[in-house]
Amino acid sequence: MSGISLFPAILLDILGSAAMSVFALLALHYARLLSKRQPNNFVWGYLYYVTFAIAAFAISRAVGHLVKQFLLIAGREDIWGTISPYSGGFNTLFIISVAAVMIFYHKGVQAYEALEHEAVKLKTANRNLGTAARQLRDLNQTLEQKVEARTEELSRSEKKFRHLFLASKDMVFFSDAGKRLVDMNDSGCEMLGYSREETTCLHLVDIFSDPKEVQTYSAMLVQDGYIKDMNLVLVRKDGTVISVLLSATAIFGEGGEMLGSEVIAKDLTKLKIMMEQLATSEKMASVGQMAAGVAHEINTPLGIILGYTQLMLDEFEEGSEQHQSLQVIERQTKASRKIVADLLKFSRQSGSTREEVSLNEVVADVVAVIEHTLELGHIALHLDLEKGLPTITGDPEKLRQVFVNLINNAHYAMQGTDGGELTLRTRLKGGDRPVAVEVQDTGHGVPEKNQARIFDPFFTTKPVGQGTGLGLSVSYGIVHEHGGTIEVESPVQDPRRGPLPGTLFRIKLPLSGESGLETVDQAEEAI
Amino acid sequence: MKLSIYKILFLTPLLLVVLFCREAWALQTHGGVEGVVVHQLAHIQYLGALGYLFWDIRRSSFVGVGWLYLQRFCLLMMAWNGIAFIGHFAQMTLGEGAISTEDGYLSALLLLPVTFGKWVYYITALDHLVCVPALFFLYLAMRSFYRSLDKEKREED
Repeated sequence: MSGISLFPAILLDILGSAAMSVFALLALHYARLLSKRQPNNFVWGYLYYVTFAIAAFAISRAVGHLVKQFLLIAGREDIWGTISPYSGGFNTLFIISVAAVMIFYHKGVQAYEALEHEAVKLKTANRNLGTAARQLRDLNQTLEQKVEARTEELSRSEKKFRHLFLASKDMVFFSDAGKRLVDMNDSGCEMLGYSREETTCLHLVDIFSDPKEVQTYSAMLVQDGYIKDMNLVLVRKDGTVISVLLSATAIFGEGGEMLGSEVIAKDLTKLKIMMEQLATSEKMASVGQMAAGVAHEINTPLGIILGYTQLMLDEFEEGSEQHQSLQVIERQTKASRKIVADLLKFSRQSGSTREEVSLNEVVADVVAVIEHTLELGHIALHLDLEKGLPTITGDPEKLRQVFVNLINNAHYAMQGTDGGELTLRTRLKGGDRPVAVEVQDTGHGVPEKNQARIFDPFFTTKPVGQGTGLGLSVSYGIVHEHGGTIEVESPVQDPRRGPLPGTLFRIKLPLSGESGLETVDQAEEAI
Repeated sequence: MKLSIYKILFLTPLLLVVLFCREAWALQTHGGVEGVVVHQLAHIQYLGALGYLFWDIRRSSFVGVGWLYLQRFCLLMMAWNGIAFIGHFAQMTLGEGAISTEDGYLSALLLLPVTFGKWVYYITALDHLVCVPALFFLYLAMRSFYRSLDKEKREED
């Protein structure tokens, strides 16, 4: 018998059935995973049911085919004949099931598409929202970084200006629209003698010595918005005054209203004193030259008058009216010569010796002479001499005269005060003129207006006949002749007890061999 | 398990019909070729359902290679349904002596002369060449869908 072999078809049927089962199960596996992964996704659920139905059909068919093939190979057509209708029936049933499940797909997909559409919109909105949130976050971060950087910059700036405010050696303060002090730096507090807490209760009227100046200050600020280099006198807490050079700027609000002012004031008191001293020095120098000229001119006629007077005294009998008159002339002429001699001393044209001088010894010599007089006046004497004080080069006699003059003045200042205290102090300090002698009394002091004039020749506050006004002038001349300086302080600024009533004269002299006398020598040689 | 009265009322007639259907003269009998007809109709329904699914997938705006695989599954499975449909008819038209199994089942021959009906039968007997690739594409489609979820998740992260 001949024909076409059906073996390939049988073999393909067996292998294909097995392969169908495998692929169907694999597809079902992934469909199940899909459905489990996203249980709310309709499409995955649908595909799972479709795949399930297809797999059921495929396996049913494959099992049926395999059973058929193996039974027929085994020659059991009878068994297959019994099973065949059931196998075919199941296959038909599963084919219908698969088709039915697929048919339901349409409505499901429509619903899913609607949902998906909404989901896409939501997703897009969500994505946009996320983008916006990211942009906002970036913006926020940038803003935070900017704010942080600006804050740091502001902090640095604030610190810098705060330091400038606090560390400034000049007075810096702020006042409000009511001219009340708001904040003042430490230098300002120190200059005025107030604590920082006290300054906040102060008004400009309290610190300006002249209340009219407050009005001027306000008017200038309102008019110009600033004040530049205004010379003012401020009152300290203790009542003393200081001279300041003030600059101020008005602070205006957004509406143009004046909120207050910021002020910087430089203390010119010391500068002013120095200027006054310089002016005094120059004045004294010119006065000294004039005095020297006058003294020379007067000294000669006085000598002639004195000589002729003494000659005439021999002509008249003692006790006679003429003799007595001539004695008066002689006495007054000698007094005039004494004044002329003092003028010459002031102008440094009198003779001078040079030797090593111990100021402690000079002071002790003077005290020994004048101590008794002081006791009579109930004045307590305190000697505070620095041990090992170096010597200076000078004229001990003239220096004694200086200290006698100063002590006499102190004595006079303490008269009528029922006693008093006189302190003589020597100190070794720094600077060009390290040797200092201080004469301090507790008298009525020297008014500020007189302090610049006390060294002027013939200036005196004593009643007429009690002083020539040459004592301090001569002392000034002698000290300068020694290359030193003489200062007056009244009231006395005690570093521990504050201002004390009385006067302190401080003489500063250079050490031996240092500057000073050479200048004097040159001056003497010139004269 | 306690049976409720509703379950008893529902199951009793069903059980009676299943056990004594021959005595139920009211029921229609289904003999002859009815089974083949139902099966062929099922194939047509299956083919129609696959065609509808294919059309709907293309109509929808689904993207991704998984849907492409699913479309291929539909096409191949539709082809298989057609082949199977024709094959069943071809098998029915074969005569009693068309196949010889005298030398055993594995040595079965489609006897000469080979007519058109015999060729159709022979070719449609090789239907696994179509349905196995179809199921392979179904597997690829499911796997692709599953893997796309991981990709989406990564993108979202």
